[in-house]
Amino acid sequence: MNSTMPSVQAGGDAVPQRSLFTLGAFLTVAGLVAFLAGLFGPHPQRVWQAFLINFLLWSAMAQGAVLFSAVTHTVKARWADPLSGLSEAFAGFFPLSFVCFLILLIGRNHLFPWLHADLHGKEIWLNIPFLFTRDGIGFLILYGVGWAYLSQDLKLKLRAPGPAAGLRRLLAGRIPQTDADLQRVQGRKTLWGGLYCFVFALVLSLIGFDLVMSMDPHWVSTLFGAYHFVKAFYVGLGALIILAAIIHLRRGSSAGLAATHFHDVGKLFFAFCLLWADFFYVQLTVIWYGNIPEETHYVILRTVTPPWNALAWVVFIVCFIIPFVVLINRRVKTMPHAMIILCGMVIIGIWLEHLLLLGPALNHEAAELPLGLTDGFVFIGFMGLMVLAVAYTLKTFPELLPPARQGAR
Amino acid sequence: MTDLTYAQIDQTILNTLERPRPRYWFFVVLVLCGVLLGAGAWTYQIFVGIGVGGQNIPVAWGTYLINFVFWVGIAHSGTLISAILHLFRAGWRNPIARAAETMTVFAVCCAGLFPFIHLGRVWQVYFMLPLPNQRFLWPNFLSPLMFDVVAISTYLTVSSLFWYTGLVPDLAVVRDRSTGLRYKVFRILSLGWSGAHRQWLNYSRGYLFFAALAPPLVISVHSVVSWDFALGVVPGWHTTIFAPYFVAGAIHSGLAMVLTLMIPLRRIFRYEAIITVNVLENVAKTMILTGLIVGLAYGTEYFIAWYSHNAVEWESFRWRAIGEYAYGLYFMIICNVLLPSLFLFKAVRRSIPWLFALSLVVNFGMWWERFVIIVGGVAHDFAPHAWGLYAPRLVEYCVMVGSFSLFFFLFLLFCKHLPSVSMTEMKETAHHAG
Amino acid sequence: MPDETFIMGLFKDEGKAAKVILELAAAGFSFRRAHSPIPSHRILEALKLKKGRVGWFTLAGGIFGFFTGFALAIFTAVQWNMIVSGKPIVSLIPFFIVGFEFTILFSVFGNVIGLLVCSRLPDYRGLETYDPRCSGEHFGVLAACETGRAGELMDFFQKKGGEVKVFA
Repeated sequence: MNSTMPSVQAGGDAVPQRSLFTLGAFLTVAGLVAFLAGLFGPHPQRVWQAFLINFLLWSAMAQGAVLFSAVTHTVKARWADPLSGLSEAFAGFFPLSFVCFLILLIGRNHLFPWLHADLHGKEIWLNIPFLFTRDGIGFLILYGVGWAYLSQDLKLKLRAPGPAAGLRRLLAGRIPQTDADLQRVQGRKTLWGGLYCFVFALVLSLIGFDLVMSMDPHWVSTLFGAYHFVKAFYVGLGALIILAAIIHLRRGSSAGLAATHFHDVGKLFFAFCLLWADFFYVQLTVIWYGNIPEETHYVILRTVTPPWNALAWVVFIVCFIIPFVVLINRRVKTMPHAMIILCGMVIIGIWLEHLLLLGPALNHEAAELPLGLTDGFVFIGFMGLMVLAVAYTLKTFPELLPPARQGAR
Repeated sequence: MTDLTYAQIDQTILNTLERPRPRYWFFVVLVLCGVLLGAGAWTYQIFVGIGVGGQNIPVAWGTYLINFVFWVGIAHSGTLISAILHLFRAGWRNPIARAAETMTVFAVCCAGLFPFIHLGRVWQVYFMLPLPNQRFLWPNFLSPLMFDVVAISTYLTVSSLFWYTGLVPDLAVVRDRSTGLRYKVFRILSLGWSGAHRQWLNYSRGYLFFAALAPPLVISVHSVVSWDFALGVVPGWHTTIFAPYFVAGAIHSGLAMVLTLMIPLRRIFRYEAIITVNVLENVAKTMILTGLIVGLAYGTEYFIAWYSHNAVEWESFRWRAIGEYAYGLYFMIICNVLLPSLFLFKAVRRSIPWLFALSLVVNFGMWWERFVIIVGGVAHDFAPHAWGLYAPRLVEYCVMVGSFSLFFFLFLLFCKHLPSVSMTEMKETAHHAG
Repeated sequence: MPDETFIMGLFKDEGKAAKVILELAAAGFSFRRAHSPIPSHRILEALKLKKGRVGWFTLAGGIFGFFTGFALAIFTAVQWNMIVSGKPIVSLIPFFIVGFEFTILFSVFGNVIGLLVCSRLPDYRGLETYDPRCSGEHFGVLAACETGRAGELMDFFQKKGGEVKVFA
């Protein structure tokens, strides 16, 4: 391990290989083809629904994953340090997410049920220009702060520009040389990290209200925004665990990730599983108990009426019951294969949950679930985009990978 | 904190258990008078009737409920500090965990009194117990008030057991340094604890499980308390955000009470080396988070009240801002969100006077938040002809004074007779650092 | 049975105490107990003890509590057997709250019982072979030997750097 080639040393054989990029590109193209086919087919509304659901899900994953690093840094939880780089790598998806958000504008006629409805005064909030402006600004601020945070952390992790000097120099800027410089960068990192947490809560609440709750414009739930950002952290942690597990499996025990890291992040995942279920239950109980028709129609449609009731049970079992029962066991959290399967399952569960929330609003009087192959392909397409984004970020900044343990074979 | 030896830790804390000076007894008697005042007022209410309080139609829930929620809220951050931070392995909690857990137990005791007081005919409280009676009437567990019974009694039991379990090794330390009557009492209380390896092995496991069971309890208990309001259909009450909002608010007010108690405590008992400014600063930092959550909840409620275009809901929030109790809303926003954000400045959160002042401000603001929610909700609900106002009367003020006095009375007794900082946990901190 | 003497070696350093435990058997003495003012991982490692069994008590309590909570709520609701507020007589959504609280309550009871049973507390008799310094800054290692070898054991402890206390 000579110190003259730091960027090769960092990461080692966990740096994404070309095959990964090929896979990512292939998945993306598959999704794109399915999306375009659906767009020019008889039911463009279906494929726009799939696009919205996946946009929300994968953006939430990226936003939540980056939050892990921001939160653990702000509370000075040292145990999370090896994972923080992996968590920040998800920021590579941010530009793609923003582009996808703008693409939503194209499908607006198929996406927003309130577009031509009489909203009795709500139009000043629910109209396309205002909605896209405020949400766009929200995303820009969130992603900007996220990248500022990433940039400060890169300043601390990078030792030399290395290959792909352009982007690295752009993001990392001047590497701190003196102790005073280091202090300043640390301070800024804490500031941007704290800001990210704050903006995360605000922007994801806004997105939850604007892009999910408003699909049924006459229904409200004050907790819905917070529910959305808790969901985002839940799937973000899941994505982070999958990434960490894959890297651990590729690199073996010389990776900087020990069983304790997996155990700790697994416990956090379990905690957010409980918190997600709690936020879900809290809304359900208040609405059920008050029994006010303005509120209950939304819940009844999704939990009691076929075809959605079956989906509701599936979501509950996949997103709560199974992870709860499995993660009570201590050892499971440290088994990478098991965690990949479990977290993958939860991600699919939350994907279905988005369908449960949005589907009835976008498909009135549906006789059967609007879930088909096209939806699957669009999911895969977004997965490809995420793979490309994270792989590219890790390839450009291998320092984000957990530092190899000293003296390990 | 890290350069304290075990002996120094023991000595500093055991010194606080020495014979108290007359000044101590003066304060004890003072708060005891407050307790008696409250007890007297309550007795008067029992004999004359609940109507001596200010509650009436439409505001049937007044300061008794406000204080109930206030005290339960205070209790929660004690559990946060002693249990949840234990799970996070946050060492800075060790100096204040004992006092925080004690605060929890006493606060739940005070809180638990209020449903009795509010009941009026307190002899009928046994109706809530699931016992068969001659008319085959059972309590209805569909009611949020019954959830309260179950939740608060569970919380009191669990907190007390957690508190006592945490105390046992320290009681052994006091026993080993005592003679005479104190030796005999602590010998019994410490259950013969000798720090044997088998005892520590199982104790650590048991304590870990306590710490793991406490967070779900904290969240569920204050959610249940919030559902006393949210499960009704009153505008301003019937909203899904209440459960997490109340939990965050509870922790916010509880952390403020921790500061209010710890700052004088460390001065009087000369705990400066143990309860360092770093510890207090960390409490303040946590309050930044809880203050922001509470602020987000305020904003969301207002936004959704407008967004819902529900005339009754919007009227309730419009009146909240410009009606007869509007000052309560501004106390709430300024004291709970704006002023605590001063903690963002390092100088403020490391300054003892500022910490103490802001802790009082937050406690004041959180009391007013409960006033705005509870009284403001029912005072101005659906039909205009049913709108009305409420003002507490003398009996209620006396009972409130009594409850605060009871809390401080119990806490003062605790400080002088039981170790107010956990010697065992301090030694563990010193051990891991040294 | 030969007369046994109990002697406790008191060490200010945890590491020394852990080493002494490992060397006691080799020296032909019988280890009885180790006392410490704080939970000591090194001593527990030296003793190669398995994790405590308290968790099973907690789990049993929790399961019992879960079903008891629901049972209580369902039983009382079915006794009255009338629709209240338009809610079904047996409504699982609100009854879950009762079940949840009882789960926690009985888990804690199980936890406390498990703690007492597994630690064998209260144990006032154990205080007869206990030195109060063990709750202060000393780690105590209690060993037993035949009365004739008491001097040897005392030397053993003192050579390792500890103070000695003899119990009759």
